[in-house]
Amino acid sequence: MSYARRALTVAWKDLAVERRSKETLNALVFFSLLLLFVFQFTLGGDRERLAAVLPGVLWLGFVLSALLALGRTFLVEREHDCWEGLLLAPGDKSAIYLGKLAGNLALMLVVEALVLGLFVVFFDIDLGRALPGLLVVVLLGTLGLAAVGTLFAAMTANVRARELLFPVLLLPVQVPVLLATVKATEALLLGEPLGAVAHWVKLLLAADVVYVVVSVLTFDVVLEG
Amino acid sequence: MPDNWGFVAAAYGLTAAVLLIYWRRLAKKERELERLTAGRSRSAERSRDRLTAEQSRERLPAEQSRERLTAERGPERLTAERSREPSRTGHPRPDPDSRPPLQQ
Amino acid sequence: MVKTLGWVAAAALAAGLVMAFGVAPREVTQGNVQRIMYVHVPLILASYVAFVVLALASLVYLIRRDAGADRLAHASGEVGVMFVGLGIATGSIWGKPTWGAWWTWDARLTSVAILFVMYLGYLLLRGTIDDPERAARYCAVLGIVAALDIPLVHFSVYWWRTLHQPPSLMKPGGFTGSASILWPLLINLLAFVVLYAYFVARRVRLLRAEAEAAA
Repeated sequence: MSYARRALTVAWKDLAVERRSKETLNALVFFSLLLLFVFQFTLGGDRERLAAVLPGVLWLGFVLSALLALGRTFLVEREHDCWEGLLLAPGDKSAIYLGKLAGNLALMLVVEALVLGLFVVFFDIDLGRALPGLLVVVLLGTLGLAAVGTLFAAMTANVRARELLFPVLLLPVQVPVLLATVKATEALLLGEPLGAVAHWVKLLLAADVVYVVVSVLTFDVVLEG
Repeated sequence: MPDNWGFVAAAYGLTAAVLLIYWRRLAKKERELERLTAGRSRSAERSRDRLTAEQSRERLPAEQSRERLTAERGPERLTAERSREPSRTGHPRPDPDSRPPLQQ
Repeated sequence: MVKTLGWVAAAALAAGLVMAFGVAPREVTQGNVQRIMYVHVPLILASYVAFVVLALASLVYLIRRDAGADRLAHASGEVGVMFVGLGIATGSIWGKPTWGAWWTWDARLTSVAILFVMYLGYLLLRGTIDDPERAARYCAVLGIVAALDIPLVHFSVYWWRTLHQPPSLMKPGGFTGSASILWPLLINLLAFVVLYAYFVARRVRLLRAEAEAAA
């Protein structure tokens, strides 16, 4: 089986499992709704305050959902005793990483689209011209989160205090991505063109490249045992 | 501007305290390890001696009881301390059969 | 060898202390509280040394699977986290009488805080995994990810604080470089780097002995 084929198989398997059970998707959707309500309760009254904190709140929602989704990414393998299967998989194990990454990315983007949609509706946001730029930023930011998140999820999969350790490891490393996405989103929602946040976009691009390359190179090491 | 010697003392004091604590922790761990390895080599010697002694001659009852006492105390201490050690050996990788079961 | 290093470190620290209080003058604008700089700056810079060593040792481990490299990374991480934590604490203690606040979110402080939490996570990962070989592998990967992340952290935080925003007026550690301040600083920096080396050497020796005892 070729490398690309193996990666696609893993991604397809994850998405198929998700489509059938919808466990993670359901959890994330309800979690997002909860976030929405909480933000409405605390910030809904004051439109100006809401507009000021909206980028941060939006990405907070994205990140918390990401933590949930990524934390569970190897759950299926763990719970159904498939971990050894991963370890014994032939060939370059980074194909598994790319497959997992693709699956996680797809899942996270779906949830983010949902959250964004809900925010637009319930907080009466006018996306308008900001949408294309926003899509670029969201895509790059999500890739950054998913890239390191998938690697760290594999590392913490069989470790004590996994649920505690995973966010502790992931969040500090992801600060550049968080900063870049929030500041870029803020500027875009204020009506600035994508060119105005070019430096943030370049940072995200650089981060994504570094994260994916390092993860592909080291995933084999993590899946040695 | 006032001198704030209190803050200076706090900074230097904190630094000294933490560094000292770390230094003492290193020394304590070294001592524990020393005791562990010494105890282990001593009891290994003793069991070797006991084997040769039993094979060669009959022993005096006083000697026997003393040896029994120290032999009993030795392995106990070892197992108590050993349970604190990590379960697996270092590099190279242990064989799959000896690997611990997957944890949740 | 380790013992000699210890004595050199002790002597250097003593010399540094004498320089900090005997030779260095009372600073004009801040008063004597500025003397905290003579531990704060060396601690932070020595921790940077520790983290560079950690990154390199992690890389060596991944390439050659050398247990010694892993022990070096482990020890360096411990001492590095301790030093950077102390650095943050002493910086905070200096900041309160000088700026009026225990903490500000300026670029340097934010970056160092992120560094602290990242490498604290490194130590937590080590502590959580029992199998020494797996711990070595995972920590090496984390060490490399963290090291590569540092420039990204630096730029993102710096841009966050400086673009479209007035730069922070208070820059900790900035000095105008008169000799009577420079020499105490350099002596203390040397002292803390030697102390780092001593702690790491002793810790590595202990780790090796522990590994041999468990074998």
